[in-house]
Amino acid sequence: MQNQYNVPVIEVKNVKKQFGDYFANNDISLKVESGTIFGLLGPNGAGKTTLIRMINNIYMPDAGTITIFGNPVSEDTQNQVAYLPEERGLYKKQKVIDQLIYFAQLKGVEKSVAKKRAEQWLIRFDAASWANKKIQDLSKGMAQKVQFISTLLHEPKLLILDEPFSGFDPINAELLKEVILELKAQGKTIILSTHVMEQVEQMCDDICLINKGKAILQGNVREIKKSFGRDTILLEFEGDANFILDNPMLKVVNQTAHRIELKIIDSSFDSKSFFNELNQKLEVYKFELVEPSFHEIFIQSVKGNEVEIG
Amino acid sequence: MGKYTKIKTIIAHEYLSKVKTKGFLIGTILGPLGLVALLGIIVYISMNFGDTSKKLAIVDNEGTIYTELIKKDSSLYYKADKNVDALKKELQEENIDGYVIIPEDILDKGNVSVYTGGGGGLGLISSLEDNLTSIVRVKRLERLGTDASVIDLIRQEVTVETNKITETGETEKDDTKAMAYVGYGLGFAMYFLVFIYGSFVSRGVIEEKSNRIIEVLASSARPFEIMMGKVIGIGLVGLTQIIFWLLLGFGLLTILGPLIFGDPESLKTMTDMAEAQGGGMASQTQGMSIPGVDFTLIIGFLFYFILGYFTYATFFAGVGAAVDNEQDAAQLQLPITLPIILAIMITPQIMNNPDSTLAVVLSIVPLTSPLIMIVRIAATNVPIIEIAASIAALIGFFFFAVWVSAKIYRIGILMTGKKPKFSDLIKWIRTA
Repeated sequence: MQNQYNVPVIEVKNVKKQFGDYFANNDISLKVESGTIFGLLGPNGAGKTTLIRMINNIYMPDAGTITIFGNPVSEDTQNQVAYLPEERGLYKKQKVIDQLIYFAQLKGVEKSVAKKRAEQWLIRFDAASWANKKIQDLSKGMAQKVQFISTLLHEPKLLILDEPFSGFDPINAELLKEVILELKAQGKTIILSTHVMEQVEQMCDDICLINKGKAILQGNVREIKKSFGRDTILLEFEGDANFILDNPMLKVVNQTAHRIELKIIDSSFDSKSFFNELNQKLEVYKFELVEPSFHEIFIQSVKGNEVEIG
Repeated sequence: MGKYTKIKTIIAHEYLSKVKTKGFLIGTILGPLGLVALLGIIVYISMNFGDTSKKLAIVDNEGTIYTELIKKDSSLYYKADKNVDALKKELQEENIDGYVIIPEDILDKGNVSVYTGGGGGLGLISSLEDNLTSIVRVKRLERLGTDASVIDLIRQEVTVETNKITETGETEKDDTKAMAYVGYGLGFAMYFLVFIYGSFVSRGVIEEKSNRIIEVLASSARPFEIMMGKVIGIGLVGLTQIIFWLLLGFGLLTILGPLIFGDPESLKTMTDMAEAQGGGMASQTQGMSIPGVDFTLIIGFLFYFILGYFTYATFFAGVGAAVDNEQDAAQLQLPITLPIILAIMITPQIMNNPDSTLAVVLSIVPLTSPLIMIVRIAATNVPIIEIAASIAALIGFFFFAVWVSAKIYRIGILMTGKKPKFSDLIKWIRTA
C-alpha cells in the first residue's frame, strides 16, 4: 500500500542492537506505511520491545538507521509518537486528571489544552467521574483506560500500542477496538504488538514477525495468507472423529470436541472423497477449505524460522 | 518549543505533587517540634545520666577525706558502712558499684585504689582524680600551716568570660557557648534534611522504576532531564520548607523575643533552673547569653543545604535507578552515607574544638563538609579561605556526582531483575 507522500511513517534499516553477547535485534529492516495498522509480532523475548524502544528514542541502535516521517529518531521525533508500553505504569497516589495532564505536557502539550482533551477522552471512555480519583482507588481495567487515554492527548500521528487489549473485559475491548479503528480512519498510523492472532487478522494491514532478533516474515496480511494457499480444512461435526487422526495426509492443527482444524500435508490429498467419507461417518455441520489462520502461520513460521515472504 | 520546557515540566510536577500532599503540611509543622524534642532528649540525657550512673563507697583510713568528697558530689560518693572484706563480697554479688580505699598516708604518697566490677568509665576515674587532687592539695597546705586566706585563694575556680574583637576593633561579648549549641542544632537539622530529602529522591526514582512509569517518561524526555528534574523539584520542596521555618522563626522571635529573652530576669531564672538541676550543663550555661540572629549563619546554612542536598540527592537518584526496592538502595548507598553519619557522630567534638585540624579537614572534605562547616561557622570564626576551599570542593564533587549518577541512571532505570552489585555500577559508569 502506497501513501500519497511516498514517505513511510517508519523506516527501519538494518538495525542491530546488542546487550553484552546477546543480539536483541540483528539486522532488522521494515517499513510502516501511513494510515495503516501494522502488526509487530513475535514470541516473548524476540526483540519487539527493544525495537519499540529504539523507535521511541529510549535506546540507540548499535548499527542501522530508524527514521520517522523521514527524520532520524531523536528528541524531536519523540513528540510525534505515542507509546503504550506492555507493562503499564502510573503514579498510584496521584489523581487521574493530574497524571493525564503531566504526561501530555511532557509531550509538549500546553496545560490548558491537555486538560480539555483529557476531559473529552474521559467522557468518551465513560470515565469522567474518575477524574479526581487516585490510581490506587481504580480497578486494573480502569487504570488501563487511563493509560490508553494518556497516549492520545498530544494527538500523535503515530501510535505504538503494546498489547493494548490486555486487562480489558469484552465490552471495553470492543470500545478500545472501535477507538483504534477510528484513529486509523483519521489517517493515523498504528503499530500493534500483540500475541492474539485473531486481532491481527481482524485489524492489521501489514505485519512483521520477529524471532530471535530477526524479521522472519513480513508483508501484507492478505497476501501472506494467500501465499500459504487453501491448505487447511475447518471442520465442525457431531460424532466420533478419531479415524481422521489416522489419515497420514492430514495433520491436526487445532482440536476441540466438535471442531477440528486440519492441515493438508500431502499434495495428492483428494478433498472431495474425504468430504464424502466424513458425511458417511459423522454429522457434518461445517466443512471449509481455507487459508491457514494467523495462529497457525505464526507457529509454523517461528518453528520453521526460514520462511521469508514479502 | 523551548529547549528546557521538559525539565521545567518535570520540576514543576515533582514540586507540586509533593507540596500539595498532607505529608508536606504535617512535616512542615512537626519538623521543628521534632528537632527541638530530639535535642531536648539529648540534653536531658547528658544532664541526668551523664555521670551519676555509679556510686562509690569510701573506706577512709586517713579519716578526714571522705567528708570532703561527699561534700563535692553526694550523688557519687558515700561512706562505707562495712569493712573491706564485706565490701568485696557485696561487689562480687553486684550489690554495690565499687569502693575506694583511701590509705592513711594519702597526704604523703598520694595514691588511692578503686575497686569496681570492671570498667566504670573514664568519666568516673577522672572525676575521682580531680576531686581527690583538690582535696589533698588543700589538706597538704593546711598541714604545712598555710594561711587560711591563701587556701581560700587556691580553692577559688576560674570562670572565663569570652570576648571577641570585631573587625572594626570593638570588643564584644562573645556568644561562643550559645553559638556552639546553635551549631549543634543546625548540624542536626542539616543531617536530617539532607537525608530526608535525599531519600525522597531515591524513593521517587524507585517508584517510577518499579511501577514501570519510567518507560513512558523515557519515551518523552531524556533520562538526564528526568533525573535532574526530580532532584531539582524535590530540592525546591526542601527549600520551601526551610524558608517557611526561617520566616516562622523570625516572626516568633520578633513577637515573642522581647518577652522571653529581652528581660534579663527571665534569663537569670533559666540559668538558675539549669543550675538547680545539677550536672555538667549548669556550669556550661553560666555566662551564656542568647545570641541575636546571625545572617551569615542563615545564608551559610541555606547554601550548604543546597550544595549538600544536591550532591547526596544526585547520588541517591543514581543508586535508586539501579535497584528495585529501598532495602537494596540503602545497601548500595552506604559508601556515600557513611561520611555524613560519621560527621553527625563527631559533631560534639567539632563543637568543643572547632579549630582543630580534624574539624578543618572534615569541613573541607566533600560529603562531611555541609554538616561540619555549618557547625564551625556557628562555633568559631572560620577563615574565608577555608570556606572557599570547602565550597569549591563540594561544587566539584557535585559535578562528579552528576556525571556518575547520570551514567548509572541511564542504564539502571530500564534494567530489571537481578540486583546489581557495586562492581556492576562501576562497569556501567565505564561503559555508558
